[in-house]
Amino acid sequence: MSDEIPVRPEDFEEVGLDPDALFDATMGRRDFLLNTAKLTAAAAAAGPFFLAAEQAQAARAASTGGDPIATTVINAATQNFKGTNLTRISEAGLQALEPKNFSGPLWKQMVGGNVSVVEAPFPQIFTKSVTEHIAKSGTLDVIDASPAWIPDFADRGVIMPVDDLVAKYKIGATFNDLHPLYRALAKYKGKTWGFFADGDVWNLYYRKDIFGNPKLQKAYKAKFKRPLRVPRTWDEFNETAAFITDQMAPKVYGAGEGRALGNPGNQFYFFQTFRAFGGHLYDPATMKALVNNPIGIKAMNSIMGELKASEPGINKLDFVSSWVLWLQGKTAMIYAWPPTGRISENYAQRDKAFAFLPKSKVVGKVGYALMPNRNGEHAGSFVQTVSADSKNAEAAFLYNAWITSPSVSLQVVMLPYTLRDPYRISHYKSAKYRSLWPGAKNYLISLAQAANYAVIDPIMTGSADYANAMDRGMTGIYAGKDVKSGLDGIAKEWDAITKRLGQDRIRASYAEFLKLPGATSKNTIAALGKAVKIT
Amino acid sequence: MAAHADTYGRRRLRAASSLLDAHIRWVLVAPAVLLILFMTIYPLGYSMWVNFVNYDFAIPGHRWVALDNFKTVWDDPIARHALWVTLGLSAAAVAVELVLGFLLALAMLRAFVGRRMLMVLFVVPLFVSPVIVGTFFSLILTRPFGPTNYLLGKVLGHTVNIDFTNDHPWYYVSIVLADAWQWTPFMFVILLAGLASISDQLYEAAEIDGASPRQSFFFVTLPLLTPIVLLAVAFRLVDSLKFFDVIYVLTRGGPGTSTYTLSYYLYEQGFQLFHLGMGTAGSWMFMVVISVIAFWLVRRLLKPVDAVSA
Repeated sequence: MSDEIPVRPEDFEEVGLDPDALFDATMGRRDFLLNTAKLTAAAAAAGPFFLAAEQAQAARAASTGGDPIATTVINAATQNFKGTNLTRISEAGLQALEPKNFSGPLWKQMVGGNVSVVEAPFPQIFTKSVTEHIAKSGTLDVIDASPAWIPDFADRGVIMPVDDLVAKYKIGATFNDLHPLYRALAKYKGKTWGFFADGDVWNLYYRKDIFGNPKLQKAYKAKFKRPLRVPRTWDEFNETAAFITDQMAPKVYGAGEGRALGNPGNQFYFFQTFRAFGGHLYDPATMKALVNNPIGIKAMNSIMGELKASEPGINKLDFVSSWVLWLQGKTAMIYAWPPTGRISENYAQRDKAFAFLPKSKVVGKVGYALMPNRNGEHAGSFVQTVSADSKNAEAAFLYNAWITSPSVSLQVVMLPYTLRDPYRISHYKSAKYRSLWPGAKNYLISLAQAANYAVIDPIMTGSADYANAMDRGMTGIYAGKDVKSGLDGIAKEWDAITKRLGQDRIRASYAEFLKLPGATSKNTIAALGKAVKIT
Repeated sequence: MAAHADTYGRRRLRAASSLLDAHIRWVLVAPAVLLILFMTIYPLGYSMWVNFVNYDFAIPGHRWVALDNFKTVWDDPIARHALWVTLGLSAAAVAVELVLGFLLALAMLRAFVGRRMLMVLFVVPLFVSPVIVGTFFSLILTRPFGPTNYLLGKVLGHTVNIDFTNDHPWYYVSIVLADAWQWTPFMFVILLAGLASISDQLYEAAEIDGASPRQSFFFVTLPLLTPIVLLAVAFRLVDSLKFFDVIYVLTRGGPGTSTYTLSYYLYEQGFQLFHLGMGTAGSWMFMVVISVIAFWLVRRLLKPVDAVSA
């Protein structure tokens, strides 16, 4: 992309961004006592921030001089939009906790306006936003949009570009320390449509104790004539998962991904595996879907192999249920979103919001690795966008710029109950974050590395239709439909969607998507030579 | 002059008052009629227009497409499959509810100790939201957390490992089971009322004529109960054709599209994917299907009435 901004260490320092300075560990005894007293008083008065008092104080400090970007937008909001109420649509449940308990109350304290949160399941954020746009209700100001929806939202006028406002407030530096994978995800047709806010890259989490078990190692070597190790390919993953299941089921199963329709969305599994094997979604010349070609069949068979090594019935479980199995120690390997690492260490369960999840029985036993074949999916994710129908568009823009500013966003991704994941270089390098649990440093390094090799969701017109057809079709295959005929059915549906939406439109949209880093396994950030090395 | 004006004014007032008296009934119903017109006729008329234009979020503009929306739905294999699933599930559910409701009604016809309490318990499912019913059955049926396989294993004496919401044909069984649990009481209540309304004298007369209990049932009970049965079946069939809530919660139309009903298909097209033209055309087609079935049922219901009038 011509407007790619290279990562330069001095960019980070140039704007005076040093979030960790807010947690200076070298203070003297007097300062320590003073700050502890301040923290205690702040915690007592914190109300909703009680368990996030530290993050709240840091965010306030960032917004009142500590972080130039956060300070700029808060000052502008206070001067011009004091008391302006905003409505934000956010994913229901855990994702909505952050605006309800952190950024919303903080914004209210500093700017004076309420942030009302409308919750919706992930796919319905799309439908509700479209409904409000068609009705021209003006109800929504901030939309937590998935990057995959941006082409449809932008083309149909649901969201507005923010380049002019970024220039007006001179906060372009906010994009400088995004991981290179994420820089392009809020851009479409040369414009910026919001602020990237969630590094939803999949990683492999595995049980170090199981892989380090001497008996298992001996049995594995005897069977496969090679040492038991964290799988590096999908074939090895399935072999290893099946082996562990044979040896340890029903106590432990080798793999365990929730595969309920729409939760999390089976299309992620297919897109990841298919492209890791070198697959392309369409023939650019004819725009015929290629998901049912030999690579697609191989990918789907690999997924079915994984299913065989999983707990029976897991194909009807949602994603949170698969987390429950993992935390109870019933799964040897899981690949999933970054909160998996945090909940494994009981970091998230400190907060009552996560009380529905059991305490982790795998604390200290979890290792982090790249996905098999390296190319994990960057699945879902969020960009903070402004509704084009908003009556408070500029205030909404300032709110979005504030919560995604380097220092405030660091506090957001460190909240115990957050589902927002690290996405800035400063996040990966944060000494404070690295101190959250013993393995946190390796966790952050692995997330940065995963982003270097990740493939992104198809970001193109009609993405919701294609995803729905894929998700639905895969549940049919799980239930026993033949892989080939199941994929043929999905490809047929995709072709019908392409025909209905207009072949030329989809061709142009797909061509735009292919330019994005991570569109295929051949143009990942690492393949492009732009990998970020975090140590 | 003033007197003349005064008389004229009073005459006009009287005329207005008479007009109002003559048409008061229209004045009183006008607000309700206007509301109904606004809430139904206007949306119906608007939907008529949507049928024939492109109304799709992903495609700009609303160009005239004639019958393309209808054709797209008609040609869609998922829509066709959904139609057969709808008809099959409705027929199966209503049949099960009719038989179970009838048996329950027969069992509760005569008084016994605790009958009233039992009747109250039997009708409780009617007041439960279909979403809750679907969630309840999802929790007890879904592997690996549901207890159904375990309990069946205990009863049958061997391991049972059925995926009730994923294996064919068990997902259909699960849906019919959930629906029957909720709506059998409806059949029960109507059939019990029908049975109770049959005079005992008819049974006594049949007994005097030497009819066996079986003959009494087939020649006295069933013929007299037929209009009630038709009424109950008509109500339930038309309602069950709109299967949605239980499907949405229990199977989400899956696996694949195996349990897609027309309502679910139209919901997905119209409200999830925003293919509003297709969704609207499909809804109109669905309305025609339901109307044909309802028309046939009502004709059957009115046959005895027509015969009596004639």
